[in-house]
Amino acid sequence: MLSRVADALFWMSRYLERSEHVARAVDVTFQLDLDLHGVLADPVELEWNALLSLLRMPPPEPRPGSTAAAAAMRWILVDTRNPGSVLSCVNRSRNNARSIRGSISPLMWRELNKLHWRLTDTGLQARVAESPHDFCEETRIGVLLFHGVCESTLTHDESWHFIQLGRYLERAEKVLRILDSRYALLDSGDTTDLPIATLQWGAVLRNCGAYEAYRRLFISRVEPERVVEFLLVNPDFPHSVRFCLAKIVDSLAEIAGRLPDRCDDEASRTVGRLLADLVYLDAAGLDGERLHSFLADAMVRCARIGAHLQRQYALV
Amino acid sequence: MTPLTTPVVDPARQASPEPEVFAGYELGAAYDEMFAAPDGPRAHYAALHARLATTSPDDFRQRKAMTDLSMREDGVGFTVYRAEEGIERVWPMDPVPRIIPAAEWRRIEEGLVQRITALNLFLWDVYHEQRILRDGVVPARLVLQGGFFRREFVGVDVPRRIYVHICGTDLIRAADGTYLVLEDNARTPSGVSYMLQNRQVLKRVFPSLFNDYDVLPNDDYPAALLDVLQWIAPPTAAQPVVVLLSPGIYNSAYFEHSYLAQRMGIDLVEGRDLFVDGNRVFMRTTRGPRRVDVIYRRIDDDFLDPLTFRPDSALGVPGLVNAYRGGTVALANSVGTGIADDKGVYPFVPDMIRYYLAQEPLLPNVETFRPEIPAERSHVLANLDKFVVKRVNESGGYGMLVGPASTREQREEFRAAIEANPRDFIAQPTIQLSTHPTFVDGRLDGRHVDLRPFVLCGERVTVTPGGLTRVALPKGSLVVNSSQGGGSKDTWVLADHDHAPAGGVS
Repeated sequence: MLSRVADALFWMSRYLERSEHVARAVDVTFQLDLDLHGVLADPVELEWNALLSLLRMPPPEPRPGSTAAAAAMRWILVDTRNPGSVLSCVNRSRNNARSIRGSISPLMWRELNKLHWRLTDTGLQARVAESPHDFCEETRIGVLLFHGVCESTLTHDESWHFIQLGRYLERAEKVLRILDSRYALLDSGDTTDLPIATLQWGAVLRNCGAYEAYRRLFISRVEPERVVEFLLVNPDFPHSVRFCLAKIVDSLAEIAGRLPDRCDDEASRTVGRLLADLVYLDAAGLDGERLHSFLADAMVRCARIGAHLQRQYALV
Repeated sequence: MTPLTTPVVDPARQASPEPEVFAGYELGAAYDEMFAAPDGPRAHYAALHARLATTSPDDFRQRKAMTDLSMREDGVGFTVYRAEEGIERVWPMDPVPRIIPAAEWRRIEEGLVQRITALNLFLWDVYHEQRILRDGVVPARLVLQGGFFRREFVGVDVPRRIYVHICGTDLIRAADGTYLVLEDNARTPSGVSYMLQNRQVLKRVFPSLFNDYDVLPNDDYPAALLDVLQWIAPPTAAQPVVVLLSPGIYNSAYFEHSYLAQRMGIDLVEGRDLFVDGNRVFMRTTRGPRRVDVIYRRIDDDFLDPLTFRPDSALGVPGLVNAYRGGTVALANSVGTGIADDKGVYPFVPDMIRYYLAQEPLLPNVETFRPEIPAERSHVLANLDKFVVKRVNESGGYGMLVGPASTREQREEFRAAIEANPRDFIAQPTIQLSTHPTFVDGRLDGRHVDLRPFVLCGERVTVTPGGLTRVALPKGSLVVNSSQGGGSKDTWVLADHDHAPAGGVS
């Protein structure tokens, strides 16, 4: 496959995954905002600022006649001057797809193109001010449709595996970052305010699309340690870091055309070691500080995987 | 349409008839594809006419909306050169198909085969023996000093002696219905993807239209094109690697590039994906360099290779032209074909056909005047308001004067330009182009159309049944180019047997 095509497949998939995460984060923050409204002193600004810093976005310019929440939502979802906004991510994904239309199935292009047109609908964008839910839902459904179509219409060859790499690498990084944004809560030890802790850790799970899956596994209150463990090392849940890394290991092996247990390239070695560290992680013994340093190290290593990929496959 | 002085029945009690989509359809001086006279359609249009006449404007509007949506969702976009940001626009397709009867098509087909055969012989000749120039059939100066003559290619043997593998020839119809050749596109003609797409979309949004006719499929084009590309591969390549070279997503025809690459199952490459090593062409892949044997290039000569042509081009591949000269890679179309579709050379194509094939041209040219001949110049200058004047080195509807629709300033501007450089212009009488019912503002109205069939030249010369019918959407406009507000129509060639169109419509 052309190196340029591999690169575009990778980024098409990465940006699309990113748009889904950003959309979900906005929706979750909005719901949390409504829940906490009467409970905390000034939660509104706080939550939206926390979200902007999680997404590593600068704050929006204040808009007269618009609440902080509404301004933040517009900025994060539809403002194309914000390169990380959902619409910007979908546009970048679509532009990558456009540059390699011949290498993906026509239906994949069609779904992605339809998503782009739906999200640019001015009616849908206007409704964001009141509730971001419809916009976020359109995004998530669109992304899921795209991957469903991809799964069934594209041959699972090298190109399919580059799509998987982009998707799971982005997802692993995002889950690590979401956990890292909340590690301090682990030490607060504030058990007096259970309902609020439940809401906040529930939001972490929802941010990772993991709430229902977690509930099915643990029939109890949302417990912070279990949340961390579930999102990091559960082998079967598609949004756990371990699951993502295992997918990356498999795809790298398929691309290189060898067995997954023979790691003889830098990208495979880096991801393999990180996966091993996760598998043998003593999650129960993690306090906030140790969790933070583990997560920080894991994020650095994920970034390194991307760099190795670029070098190995000349993804320029 | 005499107004009734006394109502025959009380209009309030009369069942309100559906407004008729053909109401007020006007026939002008031009040949109308559907109507020979105001009272009735031509025989091959009768069934279509009957079906359309019973379609309500609302139904029509709905189908037109489905067409637009379908085009948009498939991303059938093109970019307009002069728009500020290269805004994506969707190619407007009109849901009323154009129909060509079998016998009429046979004549077109034969004429096109004859024409491309002569053009290829001409190109081989001017790049080798130059007999036609020495015999004075085509003025040597016109060819050798033309902007599209590639002296680097004199004496070069191109694979199978084919220069033009893909040709899109624009046909128009005179007032009596005669098909005339308006121009040949022998460099990188585009539009074939729209021809294919239009058929797919029409089948989706208006399937009932197909019930009354046996329409020849056009879907074989990509396979036929691949046959041609493989036919010209270097003989050393057992399983030739064919790629399509595109300038990238900002090119106006990018949709077509990706569409064709996908339909042929070949890689779409950009200049930066290719490199030349040891006079052979390779592409950069995830598994290292891979040899390339045939390039269907959709980049003009000028941008193909910065070492040979424009040094500032970043779209091309350094060393590509030399590799081509060396025969290690094949190009389609060949380098230097611009001299065959040069508007200055166009008036001589009928003579080429007589010269090389000893045949009379089956498809006549439009009568053309050359201002470089003094007598013709004075005639053109005296009648600028009646002529269409074209610059010989422009295409896409740019650099054109449509006399009857022009202002005095525009005519004066062209007058000065013609007097300064008469060789740069040709002039043709304004041909009205045929009209065709087209859905505009809730009803059917006549709009001018042309026809671009696509000719492939490989082991055999083939013409895909139909082609791209372009339609000038503004009323009365004669400019059909997509960059100038044109749309398109599905084009039907009917099967060659006595097929009586089903009379009734339920």
